[in-house]
Amino acid sequence: MKAPLGTFVHARSGDKGGDANVGLWVAQGPHRESRVAWLLSLVTASFVRSLVPEAASLEVDVFALPNLGGVNVVLHGLLGEGVAGSTRFDPQAKALGEWLRSRHVEIPSELL
Amino acid sequence: MRIGNCSGFYGDRLSAMREMLEDGPLDVLTGDYLAELTMLILGRDRMRDPSLGYAKTFVRQAEECLGRALEKGVRLVANAGGLNPAGLASRIREVATGLGLSASVAHVEGDDLMPRASSLGLGDALTANAYLGGFGIAAALSGGADVVVTGRVTDASLVVGPCVWRFGWGRSSYDELAGAVVAGHVIECGTQATGGNFSGFLSMERDARSLGFPLVEMSADGSSVVTKHDGTGGLVSVDTVTAQLMYEVQSTTYLNPDVSVDLTSIQLSDLAPDRVGVSGVRGAAPPADLKVCVNELGGFRNQLELVLTGLDVEEKASWVRAQLESRLDPRPAVVEWTLSGRPIADAASEEEASCLLRCTVKDPSADAVGRAFSSAGVELALASYPGFALTAPPAKESPYGVYRPAYVARDEVAEVAVFDDGRREVVA
Repeated sequence: MKAPLGTFVHARSGDKGGDANVGLWVAQGPHRESRVAWLLSLVTASFVRSLVPEAASLEVDVFALPNLGGVNVVLHGLLGEGVAGSTRFDPQAKALGEWLRSRHVEIPSELL
Repeated sequence: MRIGNCSGFYGDRLSAMREMLEDGPLDVLTGDYLAELTMLILGRDRMRDPSLGYAKTFVRQAEECLGRALEKGVRLVANAGGLNPAGLASRIREVATGLGLSASVAHVEGDDLMPRASSLGLGDALTANAYLGGFGIAAALSGGADVVVTGRVTDASLVVGPCVWRFGWGRSSYDELAGAVVAGHVIECGTQATGGNFSGFLSMERDARSLGFPLVEMSADGSSVVTKHDGTGGLVSVDTVTAQLMYEVQSTTYLNPDVSVDLTSIQLSDLAPDRVGVSGVRGAAPPADLKVCVNELGGFRNQLELVLTGLDVEEKASWVRAQLESRLDPRPAVVEWTLSGRPIADAASEEEASCLLRCTVKDPSADAVGRAFSSAGVELALASYPGFALTAPPAKESPYGVYRPAYVARDEVAEVAVFDDGRREVVA
């Protein structure tokens, strides 16, 4: 069923120069192992681009960290020239993670 | 060894140094004051006054806390030296003298590559600093320093250095160094490890107490326990620690000047309330080159923010946009428009009936985005869409810096520990 990604996924995001960087991981709680397996297979570059349309033409890297239950995502160039020069509404991508958590995604009901 | 943190950026809670010294035992108290943008801010300070270029808040904290730190035997280790660690060290000596204290103050230098920027191919930089590791800090502590201030060391080096000093690790103690880098990375952003900026905030007690700053209990094998002083606000849990480990890493290998850390090896364990174990971390040889933080002048920018209220917002926006753009001569290199939000229909407050239209301009020349731009906007005040309003008076252009990473060969950089008596030790 459709539900916010943040139902059981946590996030933290920030900037490195013009790149935005976001960690997504499954919070400690029930069904953790199967939730982690689901998250790791869900989050690909094209999934990230579908949630963040402004990244449609950007290079996106996804690094799996199964030991920590999640992924690190780098959105190259999302912040243009970086914090001081960026014209983006949130120039340091501090709230990008919370935005992603609010996006609705298809979540298998047995994980909810 | 208990290593605390009392600063995650230049501007973090001023009272945190005192709190960390008073609220529980510590061996070393660290503070991170340097983001990429901070180097640029300090660069502008230094242009105005060559004796500046360091984090001034650290001086204020030392005025309040140096006596307490010396009395308790807590070493202070901070990268607050910024672009002028020698200047900060002598300022801290003045503070000590003024307070009638006897303190040994050392600094670490060698990161500032500006004098050689062009020969190193770093271009027309405003600031250029190599990220140093922890061995210079270790040398300074071994030399008896009570306070060590550095320039651009990596954030994690503030923890690596004291560990190398205390545990006697060598250059190839990769797993141990990697454990310390991970511990350092967890606490370098201050309260981001203890429930600040945390997606799981609903699961925390959210009282009015300040979030406690984090500390790590380091073991000689590089493993650690992340915790905070008893009775302080916030939370240390597997999730708050994961939050800090999951972002800013940009790969599954976290590169530091002393070690390459295999992030897939980290094991976290929930040991007790507010105590999280970090173990199993594996390291390998560091990269051959050192990373350099380069800031260049990007150009100049300016912005107008217009309030659009009520009906026909799209048409209001497109009209004023066409009006303003036709008045921009010469046209700035970048002109960007964003319309944020849309009014709520039949809103019971004017604010809910409004949205914001923002125009941001950038150009290599100050003139193109200065008065010419803001005047063009202001002149429309009575001559454009109904309800024309600006959220702020027109401003002058402001310069902006652009950060980029660069790399230099390790042997181009001489890391030097400078002791209280002026003696210099090149760190091998």
